[in-house]
Amino acid sequence: MRTRSTTLPKHFHDAVVRWRDTYLTDFPFLMESWDKYFPNDRRFELCAYREVGICNEIECGEHKGQPKRTVAADLSSEQAHHLLSAIKAQASTEFGSIQQHREVLARAPEEEEQVWILRMMAEELRHGYQMLHLLVEDDWSSVSQQSSADFVEEILSMTTGSHVLGAFNIAFDSFLDSIVFCAMIDRVGKYQLTLQGVSAYKPMAESMPPMLREEAFHLAAGVVPLRRWVQQAAAGEPYVSMAALQHTLNKWISRAVEMFGDERGGASNVRMGLKPIKNSEAQAQYYAEVEKVVRDLNLRYVRAKRPELSRVEAEAALEALHKEGTVQHGIQPEELLRVPHLGFFRRRGMAAFTMVGAQGETFEDVEEYLRYLCRNLPEAYLAGRDFKDYTLALRKVAAGEMTAEEASRQMPALRRVGGACQCSRAVRWVRDEPAVKLESQAQA
Amino acid sequence: MSDSVTIRPANELDLDAIIAIDEKLSGQYRPDIWERRLTYYLRRDPDSSVVAEADGELLGFMLGEVRSGEFGQEEATGWIEVVGVDPDHRGRSVGRELASAMLDHFRRRGAAKVRTFVDAEREDLSAFFASLGFQPATLRPLVMAL
Repeated sequence: MRTRSTTLPKHFHDAVVRWRDTYLTDFPFLMESWDKYFPNDRRFELCAYREVGICNEIECGEHKGQPKRTVAADLSSEQAHHLLSAIKAQASTEFGSIQQHREVLARAPEEEEQVWILRMMAEELRHGYQMLHLLVEDDWSSVSQQSSADFVEEILSMTTGSHVLGAFNIAFDSFLDSIVFCAMIDRVGKYQLTLQGVSAYKPMAESMPPMLREEAFHLAAGVVPLRRWVQQAAAGEPYVSMAALQHTLNKWISRAVEMFGDERGGASNVRMGLKPIKNSEAQAQYYAEVEKVVRDLNLRYVRAKRPELSRVEAEAALEALHKEGTVQHGIQPEELLRVPHLGFFRRRGMAAFTMVGAQGETFEDVEEYLRYLCRNLPEAYLAGRDFKDYTLALRKVAAGEMTAEEASRQMPALRRVGGACQCSRAVRWVRDEPAVKLESQAQA
Repeated sequence: MSDSVTIRPANELDLDAIIAIDEKLSGQYRPDIWERRLTYYLRRDPDSSVVAEADGELLGFMLGEVRSGEFGQEEATGWIEVVGVDPDHRGRSVGRELASAMLDHFRRRGAAKVRTFVDAEREDLSAFFASLGFQPATLRPLVMAL
């Protein structure tokens, strides 16, 4: 494994640094804390890394076996369109997650968890920088009228609400959101990076391995604190409960499964050699992985609550809790975490605006379903615009006033209007058709 | 070794299985230690530490990394620091395969040597490393009670 590093032209690099100074204000604290929490780790550097020595041949699709394309001009128009959307979407997620995490960073219960998240945020900044590097270094004029400066301005002016993918437009309500986001949403990111690692566009493929190596820590920065919190919940600590964890899982996993795109799509990406598997296949693998995470969390809970049990006894108890649904060693089945059903609380894809409960149960009455959601989602989230707009759209779909597809498109987003200046306050909720189109293109 | 055994980089999903293997070997349930330890290796070099698995079951793990500056050894050196093989799967060359993958990674990272410490009372481990080609080094561990 060997990488080479590069930086953006100075004016673009400086723009990212200014963005960092705006949205990652704790960056100096990270640098001050680096040697305490990450002794001897290579210090963070804002640059783009490209892996040396990756596969030179296209690995899937109709051009399999041909040399990977090194410049956008060598891509077909269809390929370049898809790829440009995918790079923008990826860049948007990287910068977007920082804007979400920053809102709750100060609420971390432990300094170690705070610094882990802070490092993750800095590395996401680098990943966004990496995507800007792809946009700026190549000539995309065959498929876009935008200049390099336009690309950079477009990405850096996005804020929570105006990002490409839905999960990055939802505000964090607590530090629990930060942890679950790392464990569940970054896991989608791992899949996207892995899939894009075979891209027929070589600069994209070369960008993925260094990002994936950093992503491994990001997932741990979510899963390990989650495991610790589960242990604390088992110990009866009043500040964390399995119910709160479950509600937060419900909030994010329903968005995470939508990040793979419509379950019926993805074939064109495979055909063009940009990804090796379709949306539904990637989503299924992700879902199985989440089931393992949750199963391990539950085992951690059972063992913490009943330390006298051996591993074998604890595993048997966990299985009985799930299969028989009866109390085991004083533990109620309801205490355990469960992965919400794929159809739960969906607004995009095949299950969009169907009324499916977390365990797969179906609802006929829209008000009953909304009351059910209110009992199964974090209370602070319910008070926000995101849930309100979902509620309005669901009622219209249930009343036959619009189709689920129309409702998916009409979920509003925050938009900066009247200029892209960072200091502009002209941000409004708008229903913006192109943003939705961009998402569907990115996920096609 | 069975054809179905695969070696791959460790990740955070392996935590529970690593904890279970350690529990079988040590008789202690120590999730906190392994959560911290695996996180350390994942943030330093996630390709370095490896696990062996077959049919979705983790058979063994080996944690280590390349670093320099230890004990005055300035050259980049691979360090094998933890190895654990499920006792139920011993005799399948799991440890050897894990070491082979890790040593390949160390070479790719530019390490010219690999080092480890073995408790002299663990003859099985000494024999294992000797079979891989490890030899006693001049660097000797010293200890003193405080």
